[in-house]
Amino acid sequence: MKRLLRRLMVGTVLMAMLAWLAWRWSGPHAAPPSGEGAGADSADAGLKTVRVYFASPGGDSLVSEAREMVEVQSLHERVAALVSELDRGPTGRGVAALPAGTSVLHVYLDDRGLMTLDLSRSFQQGFRGGSSAEYLAVASLIRTLGTNMPEVKRVLLICGGSPIPTLGGHLPLDRPIEISDWP
Amino acid sequence: MRARSGRHRQGPGARRESAKSDHGQVGAGGRSETRVATRRHDVGGSRVSRRPPARTWPVAALVLLLVTATDSAARRHEPKPRAGDLPAGWETRIRVSPESGPTRSLDGETYVGVNDLARLLDATKYWRSDVRKLVLRARAHRIQLTVDNPFALIDDRTVRLPAPVRSRGGELQVPVALVDSLPHDSTLARLRYDPGRKVVLQVPASGVVGAPQIVAQPSGTTLWFPIDRPEDFVVAGRARAHFRLRFSGFFIGVLPDTLAPPSLVRSIRSIRSAVGSGFELEVVPLAAGYRLVRDQGGGRMGVVIASRPAPDLEEFAPEGPPGPRRLRVVVLDPGHGGSDAGVAVPGVVEKDLTLRLARLLKVELERRLSARVVLTREDDRKLSVDQRAEKANRARADLVLSLHFDGFSSPAARGATVYCPPATFGLQSESERTASAAELQVLQWRDVGTRHAVLSRELAEAVLSSLELHGQGPTRLREVLPSSLLGVNAPGLMMECATLTSAADRQRLAEPNGLGDLAASIAEGVQSYQRNE
Repeated sequence: MKRLLRRLMVGTVLMAMLAWLAWRWSGPHAAPPSGEGAGADSADAGLKTVRVYFASPGGDSLVSEAREMVEVQSLHERVAALVSELDRGPTGRGVAALPAGTSVLHVYLDDRGLMTLDLSRSFQQGFRGGSSAEYLAVASLIRTLGTNMPEVKRVLLICGGSPIPTLGGHLPLDRPIEISDWP
Repeated sequence: MRARSGRHRQGPGARRESAKSDHGQVGAGGRSETRVATRRHDVGGSRVSRRPPARTWPVAALVLLLVTATDSAARRHEPKPRAGDLPAGWETRIRVSPESGPTRSLDGETYVGVNDLARLLDATKYWRSDVRKLVLRARAHRIQLTVDNPFALIDDRTVRLPAPVRSRGGELQVPVALVDSLPHDSTLARLRYDPGRKVVLQVPASGVVGAPQIVAQPSGTTLWFPIDRPEDFVVAGRARAHFRLRFSGFFIGVLPDTLAPPSLVRSIRSIRSAVGSGFELEVVPLAAGYRLVRDQGGGRMGVVIASRPAPDLEEFAPEGPPGPRRLRVVVLDPGHGGSDAGVAVPGVVEKDLTLRLARLLKVELERRLSARVVLTREDDRKLSVDQRAEKANRARADLVLSLHFDGFSSPAARGATVYCPPATFGLQSESERTASAAELQVLQWRDVGTRHAVLSRELAEAVLSSLELHGQGPTRLREVLPSSLLGVNAPGLMMECATLTSAADRQRLAEPNGLGDLAASIAEGVQSYQRNE
C-alpha cells in the first residue's frame, strides 16, 4: 500500500514537472539579446516609431505625427496598426482624413511593391465631403504606408473585398495608386 | 461699407476743397495761439442721452422702432462685412485707394502741404504767428514745425529734416522725409511716401508692398519685395511669360521699365488686382524654376528665379505655342445631380449650385467668346462618368470645365481647388518602365485627357490666376486625373469653385451677385487662356 502511495506521489511530481516544462516551452518567450537588433541599453526594444499623416486644418496639405507602436512582424498586423493609428486621429493640429471606423480586412504585397489593401466598408460608407476630403483621405493613407513601409511602391484600394471605382465620386480608385504621385 | 467706399471714392477735387478751407484759416491766423481747424469724426460725440418726456415716449419708441427696422432692412441690402482679414473693397470688387495727399518739388526736395499732412494724420493745427510755428496735435502726439527751420519737434524728439520747412502761397510745406520719423503706434495713422504716384498716403490695414530690389547673379535673379505682411503673398500665375504675384498690401514705389541681362526677369509690371496689389513678371525661357524666400524678420519677401534645376525649386507652368487659341465649343459639366447631391450644408446643396453656376457661366462665356457653350445636364439628373464624357466628346469640345464645390471637415478650409490631368499620367512606375522599356505603351481611352495635359495645365493657371486676382482664393492646383475627365478628349479641368463648409465662402456666394462674380472670374480666366496672353 505504501509502495503504491509512493509511486503515485512520484508520478504526480513527474507529471507536475512535465506540465511545468510544457508550459514553459509553449508560453511567451522573452526576447533574447541580439547583437544585430536593439542594443543592450535600448529601453525601446519592441517599440517602433512610425510617422502617420493627417490633413492640415486648411485642407491643402498633410501634417505628420510620430507615434510609438509595438513592433509586429506580419504584414497584416503592421498595416492594420498603421490604419488603426490613422483612425484614432491626430493629437496635434491635424485633422483626421480617413473615414471614421476604417480598418484593414486583408493585405497582399507582391514582389514588385504592389500592395492590395482591402479596407472595411466604413472606408466608403463613412466618407463625407468633397474632392479635398477625398484626396486627403487617400493621401493620408498612401503617404503613411509609403513612409513606414518603403517596400510598398503602389497601392490598390479595395473595400469589403470588392473594387471601388471611387471614394466620393471625384477621384478614380480603380487602379493602383503610385505612392510617389501623391503629396 | 458704402460710406467707407464713398469716402475712398472722393476725388482730388474734394480733397483740394478741404485743404483750401484749412489753408485759408492758417493764413488768417492772427492771434497768439489760434485753433485753426478741427477735423474730428464726431461719432456719438453730440448725442443727447436725455430721456424724453413721459407724454412723448410712446411716440419716440415707435420712431425708434421704425428707424431700427429701416436700418436693418437697409443693412440687409448692403454688402456684409466679411470674416477674416480681407481688406475693404473685396466685397464690391472696387479697387479702393488709400487716403493720400499730393506732393510738390521745391528746390529739388519733395514736400507735402501741411494741410494734407494734418488731414492724413487726423490732426488739429495750432498756428503761432509771432514765432512762425505750427503745431499739429493728433491724440497724444504733437508735431511742431517752424518756418525756414529744418528741425521738427515730434513729441519729445527733435528730428532734422533734409530741408527746412517752407511757406508757399500761405501754406507751410514739409519735406516728405518727416513721415518716416513719425511715431508708429495705433493712435497715429501710418503714412508713407509713394514715389511712383508722388503722394503721401495713409497706409491701409493690409499694409504696403514696396518696389522690389532686384539682385541678378549667375545662379539666378532674386526680387526682394519690402512687405508689411509676408504671410499674405501668393503666386497667382506660374507661366514664365506671365509669372504673377499677388500681395495683400498696397503697392508703393516705382518699377523698372526693363531689366537687362544677366537678369532672368525681363520685365515687371503692376497688374490689376481686386485685393491688394499684383505684379506680372516676364521670365526668360531658360529659367529652370523659382523659389520663395520669406524673410519675415527683415520685412521682405524674396522670389528667386533660378537658372539651374534644383530639388527645392518650384516648376513653371508648361507653355504651348503662342497666339490665340480657337475655342469653338466649350462644355460645362455641372457636377453631381439627381440622387447624388454632392456636398450639402444647411441651405446649400452642391448639385443645385453647380447647375446655377453653369447657367451663369454659359452666359458669360457666350458673351465673351464666340463659342458654343454646351451643358452636360440642364436639369437635376444624375449622369454617369461615361455619359458626361460622351456628351463632351460628341460636342467635339475644345475645352471642358467640370464644376463642383468642395467640402471638408475643418472649417478652416476655404477657397478653390482645380484638378487637371498630369503630364506624367499614364506612364508606368519606374520599376515597370525599366522592366518593359522595349514594350509598346498603349494609352487607355479613359486616360485620353492626359494627351491634353499641357493645355489643361495652362487653362488651370489662367483660371486660378483670375480667381486669385478677384479675391476668390486661396487656390490650389492638383495634378490628378479626376473621375469627371475620364475619357474626355479635350483640355479640361475639374474645378472646386469654392468650399461650402467655409462660412466665408458661403457668405461670399450668398451675396446678391456672389455666384455671378464667380462665373465672371472663371470666364475671365477662360478668356485669358483663349487669348493665350
